[in-house]
Amino acid sequence: MQTRFPILFPTVLVIMCAAAIAGVLWGTADISWSDRFAILMQRDDAPRGLSLIVWQWRVPRVLAVALIGAGLALAGALMQTALRNPMADPYLMGLSSGASAAAVAAIIWLPSYLTDFFGVPLIAFLGAALAFLMTLGLSQHRGQAMDPLVVILAGVAVSLMFQSLTAFFLYVGDPHATRSAIGWLMGTAAGTEWNEVPLLAIAVVVIAFLFMAKSNALDATLLGEERAQALGIRTNRLRMMIFFATVLLTGLAVSVAGIVGFVGLIVPHMARLLIGARHRVLLPMTMVLGATVLIAVDLLCRTLLAPEELPLGVLLALFAAPPFIFILRGLRRAG
Amino acid sequence: MPVEPALSLDNVAVNVAGKAYVRNVSLTVPKGEVHGLLGPNGAGKTTLLRCLYRAADVTSGRVHAQGKEITDYTHQEWAKTVGALVQSSGLLAGLTPRDIVEIGLSVLDLPAHEYATRCDEALSLVGLADKQHQSAGALSGGELQRCYFAQLLACDPDIYVLDEPTNHLDLHYQLVLLDEVKRRGRTVLMTIHDLNLAARYCDRVYLMSEGEILAQGAALDVLTRDNLIKHYAVDGQFVGKALELAGPILGQLDQLETD
Repeated sequence: MQTRFPILFPTVLVIMCAAAIAGVLWGTADISWSDRFAILMQRDDAPRGLSLIVWQWRVPRVLAVALIGAGLALAGALMQTALRNPMADPYLMGLSSGASAAAVAAIIWLPSYLTDFFGVPLIAFLGAALAFLMTLGLSQHRGQAMDPLVVILAGVAVSLMFQSLTAFFLYVGDPHATRSAIGWLMGTAAGTEWNEVPLLAIAVVVIAFLFMAKSNALDATLLGEERAQALGIRTNRLRMMIFFATVLLTGLAVSVAGIVGFVGLIVPHMARLLIGARHRVLLPMTMVLGATVLIAVDLLCRTLLAPEELPLGVLLALFAAPPFIFILRGLRRAG
Repeated sequence: MPVEPALSLDNVAVNVAGKAYVRNVSLTVPKGEVHGLLGPNGAGKTTLLRCLYRAADVTSGRVHAQGKEITDYTHQEWAKTVGALVQSSGLLAGLTPRDIVEIGLSVLDLPAHEYATRCDEALSLVGLADKQHQSAGALSGGELQRCYFAQLLACDPDIYVLDEPTNHLDLHYQLVLLDEVKRRGRTVLMTIHDLNLAARYCDRVYLMSEGEILAQGAALDVLTRDNLIKHYAVDGQFVGKALELAGPILGQLDQLETD
């Protein structure tokens, strides 16, 4: 299947670029074609207000959702490999619940000067990191090798704990703050600024190159723990690298756009169906597909009910469920 | 001239979570010989092999391969010298049998043309050439075992460590693949439950029970009626019948092959 890569990868790359251009050209504000052209070329006759919308608002937003889509899909693919579980996703180790509980607590409970000083993104990142450390702590057993199944169960336990905390905060919180917290929970890229892009870009690019260089070891991991070890792979070390990369990618994604589900679970499966499971083709394909999906969904969120914006989570779940069922059927056929 | 030992274990003990699984095992496999670890379930055979493909650490004792201690090898160097066929389940969605063989070969830094040749040869040897681009997840248990056999044969390390190599294989492939291993003249240490196959292929066998080697020597000297009754706890009459049957059957197969 990897032989399809030279054709499919450039195709998806072109679709991604087209989606990104569409994401910049269309949005809640209606701009005429002549103005769009003037703005993109940065000509002097471009209307200042609209130019500001495109360059200060839409471009960083499209870049951010592309990086978040790529990063979450990459993290999902790596987690599925690390745990050899097709249901694994970037949030598996309690990251989303930890981030949510921390963010909701900050939005509802913390005095606004504290929330403003630290910022909800940083607080959410710390929540994700805390949940990760708890899951990791629960998964370790007296220096023995880590059992993927125990990691998954520990992640479920930590998730449930933070979910009930989040529910409690929402239940007892002031209704106005609660609405703003729910908006955050559903994920949105609205209000993304240029200064949020570089850190995301660096993390995604560095982690992608790091694991591309380890694609042989990742391939071997798919064959099973002991088979990989017999091929000279230090599986525990590789798995810890994957976990830390996932925390970084997911934590950053969550801090910029809140909880964006499904991309990390489904996109890696889409990529596997298209070009197979060898990581040197799977990882780039997964990232470009993840970016494409999220750019497209974000564009729909902005335009479907314009001038109102839908949260990313609402449309993602709607569009992700049918392909997910299709993919599950494909996986069953593939055994 | 003494034969050069390719693989040697000296007083090896393995404890897992405080429990002793292997106690003071010493054995030496000379270059080019096939040695078999026999014994009932839970005897410590697989635990011992796990140390040899570095899935477990030796608690005490020493392991040498080609005169160099295991700890002096990096994991990758070790994998190039000691190749293993192991029991372990993976996530095979999106992989083909050819992928599986290639993944094994990626351990060795081979030039591209040799990579492809070795893959082709190994896959046709195990009878999977026509299925090499199908989904590995759809293979039967026996086909998958042949696929992993192909991976090992393609890598063709100096030392083979085989954990129940005939698992899921039909009689034809049990004989074809073990014959191929023997033909290559590599150093082999394997666990095997089929005593007939052990007698046929092993230059020397070790009978293990409760983590210790209780008897060792040529297969026919170790696989005595008394030893089998004692360590496998089976009915004496049955063992007698099995041993009696095994001789003629294997003899007939040899006859068929020479024909």
